Amino acid sequence: MSPATPLYLGEFEQMVLLAVLQLGEGAYAVPIRRELASRAHRRVARGALYTALERLEAKRCLRSRMSDPLPERGGRSRRYFTVTPLGLASLRASRAAMMNLSRGLESLLEKP
Amino acid sequence: VRHRHGPPRLAERLLGALLRRSPWSESILGDLREEYLALAAGRSRPVAALWYWAQSLSLGTRHVASRFDRAATQPIPTPVPTRGDHAMRTLLSEARLGLRSLRKRPWPTAIILATMALALGANAAIFSIVDALVIRPFPFEDVDRMVMLAEMPSGGTAIGTQERVSPANFLDWRRQTDTVESLAAFEWWEVNLVGRDEPESVLGFFVSHDFFAVFGIRAAHGRTFVADDEVFGRHRVVVLGHGLWQRRYGGDSAIIGQSIVVDGLPHEVVGIAPQGFDFPMGSAIWAPLAFDTKTAAVRGRRYLTVVGRLAAGRSLEDAQAEMAVIWDRLVREHPEANSTRDLRVMTLTRGMMDQGLGPILSLWQASAVIVLLIACANVASLLLARGAERQREIAVRLAMGASRGRILRQLLVESLLLALAAVPLALLVTAYSLTLLRSYMPARLIRFVPGWTSIDVDGRVALVTTLIAVGTAIVFGLVPALQASRPHIMEVLKEGGRTGTAGGSRQRLRRGLVVAEIALVLPLLVASGLSAMGTSQFLNGPQGYDPDGLLTLRLVLPEARYPDDDARRRFIDASVERLTAVPGVTSAAMTNVIPSSGTNAGRLIEIEGRPEPDPQQAPRVDFRAISPEYFATFRVPVLRGRAFTGGDLAGTQPVAIVSASMAKKFWPGADPIGRRFRLLNTPDPAWVTVVGVAGDVIHDWFVGRDQPTMYRPYAQAPSSFMGFGLRTAGDPEALASAARTALRDVDPMQPQFDVQSMRTTLGERTIGLQYIAVIMGVFGGLALVLAIVGVYGVMAYMISQRLHEFGLRIALGATGGDVLRLVVGQAWRLTALGVLIGSALALALGRLIEAGLLGVVSSDLRLLAGIAALVVAAAILAGYVPARRATVIDPMVVLRNE
Repeated sequence: MSPATPLYLGEFEQMVLLAVLQLGEGAYAVPIRRELASRAHRRVARGALYTALERLEAKRCLRSRMSDPLPERGGRSRRYFTVTPLGLASLRASRAAMMNLSRGLESLLEKP
Repeated sequence: VRHRHGPPRLAERLLGALLRRSPWSESILGDLREEYLALAAGRSRPVAALWYWAQSLSLGTRHVASRFDRAATQPIPTPVPTRGDHAMRTLLSEARLGLRSLRKRPWPTAIILATMALALGANAAIFSIVDALVIRPFPFEDVDRMVMLAEMPSGGTAIGTQERVSPANFLDWRRQTDTVESLAAFEWWEVNLVGRDEPESVLGFFVSHDFFAVFGIRAAHGRTFVADDEVFGRHRVVVLGHGLWQRRYGGDSAIIGQSIVVDGLPHEVVGIAPQGFDFPMGSAIWAPLAFDTKTAAVRGRRYLTVVGRLAAGRSLEDAQAEMAVIWDRLVREHPEANSTRDLRVMTLTRGMMDQGLGPILSLWQASAVIVLLIACANVASLLLARGAERQREIAVRLAMGASRGRILRQLLVESLLLALAAVPLALLVTAYSLTLLRSYMPARLIRFVPGWTSIDVDGRVALVTTLIAVGTAIVFGLVPALQASRPHIMEVLKEGGRTGTAGGSRQRLRRGLVVAEIALVLPLLVASGLSAMGTSQFLNGPQGYDPDGLLTLRLVLPEARYPDDDARRRFIDASVERLTAVPGVTSAAMTNVIPSSGTNAGRLIEIEGRPEPDPQQAPRVDFRAISPEYFATFRVPVLRGRAFTGGDLAGTQPVAIVSASMAKKFWPGADPIGRRFRLLNTPDPAWVTVVGVAGDVIHDWFVGRDQPTMYRPYAQAPSSFMGFGLRTAGDPEALASAARTALRDVDPMQPQFDVQSMRTTLGERTIGLQYIAVIMGVFGGLALVLAIVGVYGVMAYMISQRLHEFGLRIALGATGGDVLRLVVGQAWRLTALGVLIGSALALALGRLIEAGLLGVVSSDLRLLAGIAALVVAAAILAGYVPARRATVIDPMVVLRNE
């Protein structure tokens, strides 16, 4: 099954996907939220993040797997995320759209 | 203790339950726990716990809301019930509709939630206290099989009349009963331990051999007592409490069979109690209660507490019936001791309960219910207002054929949702108020409050709170729902949407609610004012002595090492001398009973020149054996005659100083100096001459004010129980270790206890009152705020409904001041009526508090007037704020809306 046509992604969805990519192997909700705060200066409500992750998984832009149970989580597992080919394609498409729209506006958009 | 390793258990369970069916539940709970641990390590645990609660509540509500949203985007089945409609499905769709309508109006919803959370939380907090202290204070298995037997003065049911049992009566009961197995008695024991470590004084109990069997307790090591241990002469054995064994003997089980020195005599350790068993009152050591033949025959002195376990298949009623027969026989055989007594058999829980606890907790529970009622009135009032706003919507639905029952149910489901949503918030309020409550109790007093450590939010509290929430939802939801669903469709639709003054009866109802709220607030505020005044009086009022700059300590001389009066006198002489020499001490004195300390001593007396009294009816006075420096050290004034001197010795004339109240009671209108009296039931019945009159000391604010008291020089009446007082110009607590050292120089084997300043003692003695005052204050404040919000809500709503009318008035020439007077006048009338009704209630309640609880404060009319003025002022202000807005109406704007 080839990756389907790229999907439209909202701004927050793009940010979450980028954060997951930045984190590589260790991407689960706690560091994702930290990443969003430190790199994008975006403090998101925990619930909003879970909703976004759930939606991205439903759109097949993310895939998740459960880790082994961990004692510091009271014997519970972590849910690790990876970006799917579809997710990557959609990110690329969104980015390309932005780039195309921004072309010629460098003097306005970039810092002097 | 419970939160040491993880997040608040209740919050975690709650969230777990809310997320139960989500595949994300595990990862979400795990993430939260992980972050909680990081936070708890970095910052304080309470902060982390608060964070956890906030996070889990917000996640939980978000999750529930999104589930409803998802369900709500599906087409809702038509609200008209059809045949075969499943009740559950209708209810669910109604819940969805309700949730939507609540979310559409976030502000009133938030106010209602906050109000309900506070009121339900207050109720849950009091319930968990009642549950822990009254319903299940003891953690034993089959605690309802355990009974307590007590002797009561005949016909006595009043507080404080519970009596202990005499040895001979106890022994007869034990021999004769079939319904109670393992009948056991115990007696308070201040224990002096020496050897291994510093001498130490711990609390222990003498117990009869069946004592441990009553509670189903087996020794963790060694054995408990057997019948043979009770035989006088073979009774020098002890069972150690688990804590004491760990602390003082290093938890070494080799101690069993060894001998330790207790009260100056060797005792064999036969066993270690299991961990957690410290009945009664945090007992740390137990020894057999062994009677010599003389004591075993004593029937007139009552000092034993008797407990037992019901025999298999026997009920409390069986035991009561059987003991009544036994008691009848004992009264016939020994009328001199028993005829004025009744025997009572009750459950252990009831028998051990502090007698003062019941009234206090009832007062709290009543206050919590009043707060809840006020909150209900507020919520009902808000819902009435909302009903008015939704009148058109409801009228349309009625016109379209919805039945009134259907609308009613819809509105009730909305109230139910509101109430249930407030439950988790309420439990949060409860959890934190209980934490505060617990932290305020001095650690050394906790053992005297059985059940204290188990005060917490648990499943029972959550269940009761949910039930109360459902109950209140029906109370506050029904009236507005009935109002709103009243089918006056035509009028509403005809009016073209302007509600105008159509809701006349609704306005009357809301005004009635405000009057009721204010009427309920007043008695609460008066009660909290009285409690605060009482507590402050207890703490800071005149005590009859000067509690500042005074250090006190207590000790018990063991009979084995101080067998006679001479030995005790030498110890006291040397101790006073050493203590006076401690740097910083201006004077030191000995007394057998320290004022306000919670212990007491009394003697029966006979006054010279009066007929010899019947021993049952002889007057009893408080008895103090003191050293000559006592009056100067404690600063008790000697009003007439002289204080004691070093010349009042064992061989000289027996003398006494009496308190002013004693002088007044026995020699009214006459000079007591030179009069004589003597003590009954003592080996030394010599006449004692009064040489002075001292000021009254308030020994106990509840029962010991102006208690007739006699003072004797200790040289003429030495005692084994004693306390010392040290007066200093500086900080009394700073003297503690120097005082201990001074006494150790006198006798290195003698431990002391309760080494603390008089101010600390007073604080501990009044801890219950401080709790009453603080909690009543919180209730009073809460009720006032809620009532004021209620007044504000009604006035603001009334103004918004009458804007049109006010605009017209202004257009016709009324000034802003006229409108202001109109509105504030209405607030004033409502408040005045409420205050009038409330004052009557407050006076009645004040009487109750005066009589039952404090006895110190009288329900002061000035207090009532002050509080009434406060309430009126606050209520008028609450009316004034929205009224200001009515005065600046531009008539053109309002009237153009036509």
